[in-house]
Amino acid sequence: MSGREDIEQLLVQLPHQEEIRPEGGEVSFGTAWEIRAFALAVAAHQNGQYDWPDFQHALSTAIRTWEDAGTKEPWRYYDRWLEALESLLASTGTLDPSEVDDRAHVVLTTPRDASHHRARLEPVAVDAARV
Amino acid sequence: MTTTESPLPVPAVALRSEEEIAARVKALEAIMIEKGIMTTEAVDRLAGIYENEVGPHLGAKVIAKAWTDPEFRERLLADGTAACEELGIGGMQGEDMTAVENTDTVHNVITCTLCSCYPWPVLGLPPNWYKAPAYRSRIVREPRKVLREDFGLDIPESVEIRVWDSSAELRYFVLPRRPEGTEDLPEDQLAELVTRDSMIGVGRPLHPGAA
Repeated sequence: MSGREDIEQLLVQLPHQEEIRPEGGEVSFGTAWEIRAFALAVAAHQNGQYDWPDFQHALSTAIRTWEDAGTKEPWRYYDRWLEALESLLASTGTLDPSEVDDRAHVVLTTPRDASHHRARLEPVAVDAARV
Repeated sequence: MTTTESPLPVPAVALRSEEEIAARVKALEAIMIEKGIMTTEAVDRLAGIYENEVGPHLGAKVIAKAWTDPEFRERLLADGTAACEELGIGGMQGEDMTAVENTDTVHNVITCTLCSCYPWPVLGLPPNWYKAPAYRSRIVREPRKVLREDFGLDIPESVEIRVWDSSAELRYFVLPRRPEGTEDLPEDQLAELVTRDSMIGVGRPLHPGAA
């Protein structure tokens, strides 16, 4: 069982601490997908898929590549994080990047809650008071 | 990887929209689980350590303001989305949000009977049990029993329980009752008493001193 302390040990080794801890101490995320991406990378490491320095290296490389490209896109740390995770798994032959492209396409083209688009304006169930 | 300049097999991509990147993370997770790279449980557990830091604290701000500002409370109950926007809260998965208010005689609880529609901007990520078929079906059939047995929340027989079904078009959250003995607390301290579960309706806010 790895707790928060174990994760903190991993995190302090990563570049751009100010992105991981924007409030200056506490690890913080802006969106749900960031937490998910974060958890995937840590879980794969803890399951023995790679050593943490390898992820650290992949992340540094992804950040440097982005910086060198001089793109005008807004900077998002967890975009680079996701790239690092994908490239690391691809480099070990565990993952085929086109596989992720295809699956992401399926996710995007499947209407979310396909059958659940109508607002339900009344309670779906009522358990009346009995006294 | 040992060299410092090893080429990366993933090409640089244009900035993805929030929706696209969220879909990509979801896709990657599904593939990683299928390949046995890690388990769902491990990812959920790791995400769970931090997920309380996205969302619920925003919802808690909304609730605390409603407790202290009667006019805001009126606006919140009339149009949840607009009231949240006043506090800069909104965005994906929160297009249409409605707050339902607990009173002396009514207790509200939210679910999504078909999937896991959830007001992310105010509550953060849905907990796993919220997405589980067991909760989604049982809370509708026997809400009083589920609240008591699964969540340890005993709703008096004198109180009616209403179950609200969130959909993609309309997502509910609960405005819980303000705990007793908090008359002198400022808004920021009240917010610390508001739990995620109290805004789903499966728990109560904390009492001062327990936060």
